[in-house]
Amino acid sequence: MRARISSLRDHVLARHLAAALLGLVVVVMVLESVSDYRNTQLASMAYLGIAAGGLTVLTGLNGQLSLGHGALMAIGAYTSALLLPDNESSLPLSVVVLVAVVVTLAVGAAVGLAAARLHGPYLAGATLALAVAVPGIALYFKETLGGEQGLRVVMPDIPVWVLDAVFFVTGQDLTRSRFTAYVAWLTLIVVFVLLANLGAGRTGRRWRAVRDDEVAAELAGIDLGRARVSAFMVSAAAAGAAGAILAFTVKLAAPSAFTLTLSLTLLAAIVLGGLGSLAGALIGAALLTFLPSVVTDIGTDAGLSDIQAAELAPLVYGLVMVAVILLAPAGIVGSLRGALLRARARRRTPASAEPPATGTTSGTGTTTDPHADTTETAGTTPATTSKGTAS
Amino acid sequence: MQQFLNTALTGLTLGMVYAAFALALVLIWRSTRIVNFAQAPMAMVTTFVALVVIDAGHSYWLGFVAALLSGLVLGAFLERVVIRPVEGKAEINAVILTLGLFIVLHALAAVVFGNRYRSFPAPFGLEGITVGGTTIALNGFGIFTIVSVLVVMGLLVALFRFTDVGLRMRASAFNQEVARLLGVKVGAMLTLGWALASLVGSLAGLLIAGGGLVHPSYMDSVVVFGFVAAVLGGLDSPLGAVVGGLILGVSLSFVSGYVGSQLVALAALVILMLVLTLKPGGLFAQAAERRV
Amino acid sequence: MLTLTGLCAGYGPVTALEDVSLTAREGEITAVLGANGAGKTTLLRTVSGLHRARSGDIDLAGTRLDTVAAERMPRLGLAHVPEGRGVITELTVEENLRLGGLGRGGRVSTSDLARITDLFPVLGDRSAALASTLSGGERQMLVIGRALMARPTMLLLDEPSLGLAPRIVAQIFGLVRTLVREEGLSVLLVEQNARSALSVADHGVVLNLGRVVADAPADELAGDDQLRHAYLGF
Repeated sequence: MRARISSLRDHVLARHLAAALLGLVVVVMVLESVSDYRNTQLASMAYLGIAAGGLTVLTGLNGQLSLGHGALMAIGAYTSALLLPDNESSLPLSVVVLVAVVVTLAVGAAVGLAAARLHGPYLAGATLALAVAVPGIALYFKETLGGEQGLRVVMPDIPVWVLDAVFFVTGQDLTRSRFTAYVAWLTLIVVFVLLANLGAGRTGRRWRAVRDDEVAAELAGIDLGRARVSAFMVSAAAAGAAGAILAFTVKLAAPSAFTLTLSLTLLAAIVLGGLGSLAGALIGAALLTFLPSVVTDIGTDAGLSDIQAAELAPLVYGLVMVAVILLAPAGIVGSLRGALLRARARRRTPASAEPPATGTTSGTGTTTDPHADTTETAGTTPATTSKGTAS
Repeated sequence: MQQFLNTALTGLTLGMVYAAFALALVLIWRSTRIVNFAQAPMAMVTTFVALVVIDAGHSYWLGFVAALLSGLVLGAFLERVVIRPVEGKAEINAVILTLGLFIVLHALAAVVFGNRYRSFPAPFGLEGITVGGTTIALNGFGIFTIVSVLVVMGLLVALFRFTDVGLRMRASAFNQEVARLLGVKVGAMLTLGWALASLVGSLAGLLIAGGGLVHPSYMDSVVVFGFVAAVLGGLDSPLGAVVGGLILGVSLSFVSGYVGSQLVALAALVILMLVLTLKPGGLFAQAAERRV
Repeated sequence: MLTLTGLCAGYGPVTALEDVSLTAREGEITAVLGANGAGKTTLLRTVSGLHRARSGDIDLAGTRLDTVAAERMPRLGLAHVPEGRGVITELTVEENLRLGGLGRGGRVSTSDLARITDLFPVLGDRSAALASTLSGGERQMLVIGRALMARPTMLLLDEPSLGLAPRIVAQIFGLVRTLVREEGLSVLLVEQNARSALSVADHGVVLNLGRVVADAPADELAGDDQLRHAYLGF
């Protein structure tokens, strides 16, 4: 039995590593074939993807909502900026990312500890306060954090061995933007493998148990507070890494980059993609990166001013977010998976008229008590099965 | 001493506005168990409605009334059309929904009203009143702020305490099923609750804007302060929301006056953390503490 | 007169009521008995519109009820006293009572309130107190009094004896009996406590796993040893 479990675990790890390897190949092929401009765009997609990946683990697997991931990214970005003030700094980028992660983790722990006893609107409100508060810190400590202008990030020279290695593999010289894109996507792959493994393992099971039924989880010996804090910390760590990559990509850490809008659009990304799904987070990040220019062009063509047209992209996110929650709470990935399961079930039992539940996990709820009140719980996505209201 | 007094007075005025906004959040929380984060952009939109009316050459007061009425309509509309489908379902859905509305209203306002700062008039003087030779930090508009919030609160208390509609609304908020069995049209009461809350939020929006600048995001921090004030008061108690608003207003005013205005939001966060950690049921929680 | 014909109801894949037909006659107390899970509460919830029937008819004095919303029932003369703590604890005793009166439509007069406080003097004494401060027996009186505020012709009572001392149960059942005798009220009483229920009821219906297994005058049911042992547990 034990052997089987451990082989199962190896199997999961192997699958994640294989996916990562495949992803790496795709990344190399794509980054090598596109322009510098696109490389920068793809680097942006990567940091949004990392942050969204962390958020989707928190929201999807643990049922907690954070509106403060933009602020946590700011902490990662400012840490990186402080570590990379000029060309003299000899810190390797991997160390910078690690330090950014550790610092953000510490802040995440502080917020998460208070959050451990909270859920739903309380955590949302606390993290909303974080999102609004953090830019003010940068303004207050003008001397160290650069105030409104922010801090410049000076990227170190590309190590010679990297230049050589890339030339050896691709036969092309490595430009600085492409190098940044590589750093961004490598970080994304590492973060996603770690998140996927955590989610598939014992920790992930605990998070989901707490999300689905607090009382049952507590009876099963799970420490609710610890599960919530750990989920929040993991999620914050990912946001820290995302912040570091953001700093590398835009070469600036300034308060204007970390508005409440950033936190909210991250949430939009994971809702669109489907809560709890890393693939969904990546899809959401892609939409955040590439949709604005498309929508803005449509807007200017329709006669809007540039400033007005720039607001169309958030309008679309917001509308789609509302529509997704009302019509397809499982998001893109969840809905596709649900449709696939339904199609498969139809093929297997053509006579049966009963479709499976629209949710992507946990079977049909047959535990209805005739005496229980009839309020429905939206169980359509794994993330939305948290218990009813506190009263 | 004079600075101390003025800081306290400014805080009191601001606290009244936070109290109003917190009250709007509490009204909705009590009836639908939803924290309406979209309250901030809703109030922003209605303030822009007032600005449009005023810019068209009409009086401040016509704009004021137009804003309150559009708040009433907007609240009712959003509850009926957008929020109703998720009422009673998993709470995370409702939270995400109000945030989606947040983004939508923000972007819509930026497209329709423009994404720049515009000045908003005040109906009363902004010059401090002079008492015994010294000018204090209380002006005509400040007095108007305090009075109008008090009047609205008084009207709400009267509505809830002394009218049949108020009784029906309270019954719907506390126990929907029993209320239905007693013939209360719960859906209509919830719509009315959202409409009233939105009206109170609109009032807060107008009072914050008066004599200052408005912008699609000018209310964003106010929703945080309103939320913190509501949590201070226990989130379930209208009276608590008012007291919480005043406490927060004064505290933040001192942070702003003696430390730095940039750290006001951080101070609000710290206060929120302290309350949630030490007294999660709010400052006035009874012995039996509720699970947050 | 309340007549149910071929009523079926359930929750998802679970069937709670199957082909239930019964009549609650005017001016009588009809007791619906059965073990926990027999479908008694579902029966009342379906009649009062809180739960929709899958099929079957519900008829109150010539009016079809099966498509009527729960909040319209008080106007049709139907009052449902829900199981357990149906008082709104955050409201005062008087507010709870007034709320009951509002269900009929129109305003609530002091004489309406006086009628109820005459029936239940303790409610008059505590009228300004929050309902949360009442004892279990007082709460049960409050929910019955509140239902009577709407001047119903048909009263649905769900487990009024639940968790109450036998003395209080006797007192409450005695009051219900008086109301039926003096005001011509009809009552559909759901009870697990079959012995007490049959002592007050005119007629009894026994439900088992959602089906009617017996339908007879109360004294007949009480005298049927086999049935008592099999379904009523006394």
